[in-house]
Amino acid sequence: MAQTFPERASSASAQTPRVVRGKALAPSKGKRPWTFYALATLFTAYLIALYGPMFCIYVLSFQDVRGDLVFPVRGFPSLYWFGQLFSQAHTGDIKGAFDRSIKLAIVVTILTVVISFLAGLAFRRRFRGDTTIFMMMIGSLVAPGLVLGIGVGLLFNALGLETHWYSSALGAQLSWTLPFGVLVMFAALSLFDHAWEEASRDLGASRWQTVRLVMIPVLAPGLVAVALFGFTLSYDEFARTLQTAGPLNTLPLEIWSMTLNITSPSLYALGTVTTVVSFIIIVASLYAIASMQKRRARREASH
Amino acid sequence: MTKAQGHIELAGVVKSYDGLTKAVDGINLEIPDGSYCCFLGPSGCGKTTILRMIAGHEDPTEGEILIGGENVVGLPPVERRTAMMFQSYALFPHLSVRDNIAFSLRVRGVPKAERLKTADAMIEKVRLEELRDRMPNQLSGGQQQRVALARAAITQPRVLLLDEPLSALDEQLRVQMRTELRRMQQELGITFIHVTHTQQEAIALADMVIVMEKGQIRQAGPPRDVYSFPRDRYVAEFLGGQNVISGRVEGQSDGIVALRPPEQKAIRVPCAPEGAPERGTQADVAIRRDDIALLKPSETIDSSLVTLPGRVRALEYQGSFVKVMLDPIGDDDFIVYVPERKFFETPFQIGDLALAAWDVGYGRLLA
Amino acid sequence: MAQSAAVATARANRRGEAFSWACIAPLVLVLGPFFLAPLLAVIAASVFQTDGFGGMTPAFDLSSYREILTSGLTFNLYWETVKFTVLTWFFSLVIGFFVAYFLVFHVRNRLLGLGLFLLCTIPFWTSNIIRMISWIPLLGKQGLINTALLETGLIHEPLEFLLFSSFAVVVAYVHQLTIFMIVPIFNSMGRIDKALVEAAVDAGASRFDVMRLIILPLSKSGIALGSIFVVSIVMGDFFVVKVMSGGGSASVVGAFYEDVGVLQYPKAAASAVLLTVVLMVAVALILRTVDIRKEITR
Repeated sequence: MAQTFPERASSASAQTPRVVRGKALAPSKGKRPWTFYALATLFTAYLIALYGPMFCIYVLSFQDVRGDLVFPVRGFPSLYWFGQLFSQAHTGDIKGAFDRSIKLAIVVTILTVVISFLAGLAFRRRFRGDTTIFMMMIGSLVAPGLVLGIGVGLLFNALGLETHWYSSALGAQLSWTLPFGVLVMFAALSLFDHAWEEASRDLGASRWQTVRLVMIPVLAPGLVAVALFGFTLSYDEFARTLQTAGPLNTLPLEIWSMTLNITSPSLYALGTVTTVVSFIIIVASLYAIASMQKRRARREASH
Repeated sequence: MTKAQGHIELAGVVKSYDGLTKAVDGINLEIPDGSYCCFLGPSGCGKTTILRMIAGHEDPTEGEILIGGENVVGLPPVERRTAMMFQSYALFPHLSVRDNIAFSLRVRGVPKAERLKTADAMIEKVRLEELRDRMPNQLSGGQQQRVALARAAITQPRVLLLDEPLSALDEQLRVQMRTELRRMQQELGITFIHVTHTQQEAIALADMVIVMEKGQIRQAGPPRDVYSFPRDRYVAEFLGGQNVISGRVEGQSDGIVALRPPEQKAIRVPCAPEGAPERGTQADVAIRRDDIALLKPSETIDSSLVTLPGRVRALEYQGSFVKVMLDPIGDDDFIVYVPERKFFETPFQIGDLALAAWDVGYGRLLA
Repeated sequence: MAQSAAVATARANRRGEAFSWACIAPLVLVLGPFFLAPLLAVIAASVFQTDGFGGMTPAFDLSSYREILTSGLTFNLYWETVKFTVLTWFFSLVIGFFVAYFLVFHVRNRLLGLGLFLLCTIPFWTSNIIRMISWIPLLGKQGLINTALLETGLIHEPLEFLLFSSFAVVVAYVHQLTIFMIVPIFNSMGRIDKALVEAAVDAGASRFDVMRLIILPLSKSGIALGSIFVVSIVMGDFFVVKVMSGGGSASVVGAFYEDVGVLQYPKAAASAVLLTVVLMVAVALILRTVDIRKEITR
């Protein structure tokens, strides 16, 4: 406590602290703890369990006529079971089901993106009835799909309407994709700075201009996520569609009936085909988005 | 309607979010056209709310806001011709510097070639030519601020509103941007309203400082008035650089009040004859820390000086001066700023006895 | 004068309210006819009388409920379903939590972490049914696992419990649903400030303390959301049980589907109402632990 100014000033040079070089200050370069290896093993095991079985059926789908549902692989590679798959006599209307499922999924995707975006905007502030609507949404998310599907069927029946994949099934699927879409929008909007909107208004933009020029571009990644969710959930929807699709099946319904009736590698061939289609769609949409952004970036750079 | 464009008047403005507590409580204020005005106060004092009400991002619960003599309550921001610079700058993350700056022209439907020309002129003005095509996340804090300033200024507002514009910057940059803000204000010749919680920023920049507490104005005036002649203890303490001492009034004569701090002898403070406090009441006096000299107890003392004895408690070297903390007077800290050279001519050490002395005229009685 | 401001405020509020309602209207227009109305239809059907051939007459008849609630079969169905739900929830939570933890806190390169995360989500884009049946060539009597075990001499008889069993059902569910845990937990863990962990370690917390006192509470919202997904999907599902148990197990929804198949609408509807109530209670219990809306919009 007897330390005083002049002393401190004169001793300062002698006490210049040593520069400490240690690993403790840079944890990103340190040795990995044992938990890392334990968890890395768990993660790898998870990935193997996730992908392994699927690769098995992809491989098994390329057997020839001698092929069976189990290993070993016989007559690899051959497209025999793919041929069987598309000969309608054996398997029903796969091609038509594909067609319908994709059309339905596209419509569901568009509606999901638009409605979720709007709902996300509305939920940012409190309004009368917001909690009720939110609870209704959660209810729609958790309610057993088959029960809702049958409810829709009963309702259409009572109203004298016919169920079709493009009417009742569309609505039933939306009741499933929308809660997901809105939840994703919530997450995306939580990163949206309210000041961007105010700044836009401050600079003279109308509400619609703010949405078009600020909100949609900034929220684009979130909207893409909503779209991908909407597409996949619809394309693979089974429980809600089962009782609402009407006379013509969607793809999952077709696959479902196949699993009950067919015990040949055609089933696996179908698995391979649907996976390939899913990937084509996802890659194509991601590519479209990437090139859209690139084009925009180029346009901005050029002027 | 004869009022100048950027003249602002707040009349009885009240804002309450919940109907019970008032975030802004009855503000009456005139801000002359073309002035640089700083609202100063701790967070939650209502200063940002006032700014947002002037900007049109919030509506007052009661009262009127006049810009250029015209009541703007209920008008959207564009029609008020105000522009706001947000605390986070709120640069649109998907637009380049140039497109951010040109945004207001774009929404107004100005043709592309024309709006880019105007934007480029503004970019030149804020010296951002090299960064024209950068995205906001590729800019430093200071650069972002310049873009935000340019984006606001291009709308040719009559009032520019700045919400804590320097708080996101580091110390050095803050001082630099302070100068830049002032330069911009003079160049544009419009009213700037700047909200801050840093007194240094306020007094360095403003023509007019408004000190706020709990939704009310405590003092408004030129920075020198507010700093040197604080009206009350709150203002004196918030602006800092002052010792505020509380004491009991012992008597008065010839415009001098005798005030007795706890466990000290009385000190003399000048006061206006009509404003003299009653004998026996408590009163506060403020003395600027740099107006006080620190003497050795052995030195002879001029009778025109007021003195208070104390022991040196702590020392802090500040570069151009040394901050000497003496024993507190009652509950109040007592600190003296001694110029560096002067301090080291006859240095004090911790535990030394010292005599704080100042000219009678330097003490100021507070309300 | 003061009034004009108040009027402006009121007008602004009304405008805001109207805007919110305009934005939310499409959602309500879908959920009304396709969630609320069908639910009411099912509730109505549960108290109607049936002629046994799919025709129903309006009535207020609680006999369907009586039949269900007094049947030992109902208890068995629920027991099976709850068993699968709890097992699936437990395994998907443990795996999902640690996978997310690994990706967020152990993978140091952010881009790599994101890439690995996407790797986890890719199978989600493929058909669930296909993913389910993809276990058949692995778990079957002559499947890969049995063959391998027989060849190494570890076993001499093929393991029967692997396929068409409760084991297979849980495997298929965990395979399908762990992603529903990973995504929300990854999301809420990603928001945890890494400095918190460092501060806890500085304060002398062990690895276990950090997990229990910092990471677990702060990923609560993700865990709750994931649990809601998993619980509601398993309880509302029937085809995994039907296929993977090989008919050995039943499920509430499966029984419901069979009742519908034989046109026993009131009984099916009563069972559906009961299930929905049970599910809603389960979800409400989960939601009690965390305000999802506030957590997500934070």
